[in-house]
Amino acid sequence: MTAMKRYPFLPALVILVVLLVLNGAFQPRSVSVAGMTGLAKTYLALMLLAIGQTYVVYAGDIDLSAGAIVSLVNVSVVLLMEHWGGDGLSVLAAIAIGLATGLACGLINGVVVAALRLQAIVATFATSIFFMGLALHLMPVAGTPAPAAFWRTYGGRVLEVPFVFWAIIALAALLTILARTRLALQLLAVGDDAQGAYQSGLPATAIRIKGYALCGAFAALAALCVTGDTASGDPLVGGKMTLFSIAAVVLGGSALSGGHGTVVGSLIGALIIGLIGSLVYFVGTPSEWQNLVQGVAILLALMAGILVGRKARA
Amino acid sequence: MAKLKLSGISKTYGATVALHDGALAVDAGDVHVLMGANGSGKSTLCKVIAGSVRPDAGAVLIDDTPVTISGPRVARALGIGVFYQELSLAARRTVAENICLPDLPMTAGVLVDRKALAARAARTIALFDGVAGDGFTADATVDSLRADQRQLVEIMKALASEAPILIFDEPTSALDRAQVERFFAIIRDLKAQGRAMIFISHRMDEITAIGDRVTVIRDGRTVGTWRLDETDTATIIAHMVGERSEPPGARASRPPQDETMSGPEARAPRDIALSVRGLGGSGFTDVTFDLHRGEILGFGGLHGQGQSAVLRTLFGALPRSAGDVTRGDTALPLRTPREAIRRGIAYVSGDRRRDGVIQGRPILENLTPIHYLRQRLMLARPSVLQQKAQAAVDALNTKFAGFAHAIDSLSGGNQQKVVIARWLMDRPDVLLLDDPTKGIDLAAKADLFALIRTLARDGMAIVLYSSEDAELLGNADRILVFNGGRIRRELAGADRTRYNLYHAAYEAA
Repeated sequence: MTAMKRYPFLPALVILVVLLVLNGAFQPRSVSVAGMTGLAKTYLALMLLAIGQTYVVYAGDIDLSAGAIVSLVNVSVVLLMEHWGGDGLSVLAAIAIGLATGLACGLINGVVVAALRLQAIVATFATSIFFMGLALHLMPVAGTPAPAAFWRTYGGRVLEVPFVFWAIIALAALLTILARTRLALQLLAVGDDAQGAYQSGLPATAIRIKGYALCGAFAALAALCVTGDTASGDPLVGGKMTLFSIAAVVLGGSALSGGHGTVVGSLIGALIIGLIGSLVYFVGTPSEWQNLVQGVAILLALMAGILVGRKARA
Repeated sequence: MAKLKLSGISKTYGATVALHDGALAVDAGDVHVLMGANGSGKSTLCKVIAGSVRPDAGAVLIDDTPVTISGPRVARALGIGVFYQELSLAARRTVAENICLPDLPMTAGVLVDRKALAARAARTIALFDGVAGDGFTADATVDSLRADQRQLVEIMKALASEAPILIFDEPTSALDRAQVERFFAIIRDLKAQGRAMIFISHRMDEITAIGDRVTVIRDGRTVGTWRLDETDTATIIAHMVGERSEPPGARASRPPQDETMSGPEARAPRDIALSVRGLGGSGFTDVTFDLHRGEILGFGGLHGQGQSAVLRTLFGALPRSAGDVTRGDTALPLRTPREAIRRGIAYVSGDRRRDGVIQGRPILENLTPIHYLRQRLMLARPSVLQQKAQAAVDALNTKFAGFAHAIDSLSGGNQQKVVIARWLMDRPDVLLLDDPTKGIDLAAKADLFALIRTLARDGMAIVLYSSEDAELLGNADRILVFNGGRIRRELAGADRTRYNLYHAAYEAA
């Protein structure tokens, strides 16, 4: 087995390093500990969402509602924390309910797509509108602040190390365990050949539902990071993140057709998108051009990934 | 006492009856061979046992206890392991993962026990030590393996289930001699352990080498079960056919053409519509034949021996790896269907949903795409198109309410007529029919074949691949019998009998 096959994210890793060097060249402070902390704080949410998306993509499905789940969990958590007064215990309770909300949204997606057999793209697009509508109903206008206890922790330090780094360490541990679960292997098998997996006696429908549920849970974790980063509730905050998460999955070398990929790749993909965003800013692109330049840069990164991958395989 | 017993199994798909009265009794410690012609129902019967098809009626007993096999999961729990002919492997997972996938060893309830997985895989792989070939390791991904090695993985997957009942549906079609011999040695071991095994193969020598009993299925009905050491090949084939021999075209609605008309040697070279030399592609090699104008050339043999692939390659839908196709002095590259269509080649597939029908669109739109392409039309008046289309559909006796209705409103037979009519608006020179009557009722079939014969009489060159041997015998002037991706035999004139066709299909390998 070649390295490329075992580590499909190698091209993405190369691009990541190139982007880090470029970022450092244009803004030396961006590669300092403080700069890295800022990057992690801002893009941990996208990393988590891309990871969640990966499990769905493993099985050959897609979740266009991931960003809407982020929005819904974000406003739910902020409202609950405000409602309960914002002390430590109420924050924990709100976090628990937020995670349960994300899980429930994922289950709904899974049932609609895998059990009711609707097309994943259209069905999760529909549920995304539903989740977003729910978020807008709960909080019609953005701006309700999150309690200080919450965002101070997220932006602060524990034992002299920034909290986000602890979060990344915990995430690494979680991903290591998840990679060894039966579910990860089963999702990949279903994505590879759904009929074959069914004939092998795998519960294909239940497996796909679990994939969506996992994605919902990761979307909820992403929402907590968004809340910690922005310190407020915003019913539209996740909208743009959905397609970024899918782009991150593809950048990381996973196949949208399913059966092939790694979560590490998606994580790198999310970082690439983040670094492109900051690079566009550091080179001094005028604000009205930033979206355009960012779009072109992501397109180039995707093409570079495909070209490098093809070379490595040949 | 039979380990596994099936009786009165029936299954219908829409209008087609796949199984009428399927019965089978397999003893522990026996290799039970299942034989039948294409479409006789043997695969359906296996799928009923595997749980992937639910029968409409009938009883299944394991150890004399009635069971309901509602899905592959249930089948596994009941101790049934299956080798799937079309393989059930995850191409990008490793050999070891595939072998253990149905029943992953676990630790802590949710984690895969990689050590146990590797150990179990290694035990199974060791059974084929020395014959599996280069690159066959536990952590090789399946997509990096050759066809025979993939088939070995599927065999190992079935063996690793350690199920008391095992079904092998054509497990040896890609294996070489040494691999088959090793596999048979393993089967003999399993026999000694008292496993009950069902075995489907179309290699007669293998069947006599490994089988204990044979059950013959014909037209969805179990004909009977015999001990293999008490019968012979000719008798078995006779049971499959239903009679020993019959005159050519006895069931045909058309008298066989006289030899001066259909004998290939009697024809002048200018009558050759397509000349195929040494054609190779996915799943077939060295296919050589001449197709004459006014001829219906049959492709026969068991399912999936390369017949469809040859037709799809001629149509430019599959890549060609070797060989030439010429008409007169012109070489036809036929790289894409578009090119093939412009060269006057038409292709009608039995898989209407994949290859023919444009679903949800009106009948008129389904009739005209080829016309647009061949006439290089950019714009057309619906009323003019409709006139031309009317003539084409009338030739086929197509029943429909109006051109504006969605094609989905038609029956399968009428949908297929619309697909064929599409090609008739501008006459092609060559018509490739790839099992065109799949899932079509008898009346529509009769209309279809009447039309095909008229087209041939008018000078069109037609290739007919059919999985129903009666259709071939009734309509084809010559039949090329395929096996393992090669033409093994040509049947023409008085040789076109059911008996010869089966004999060639089963024994050519």
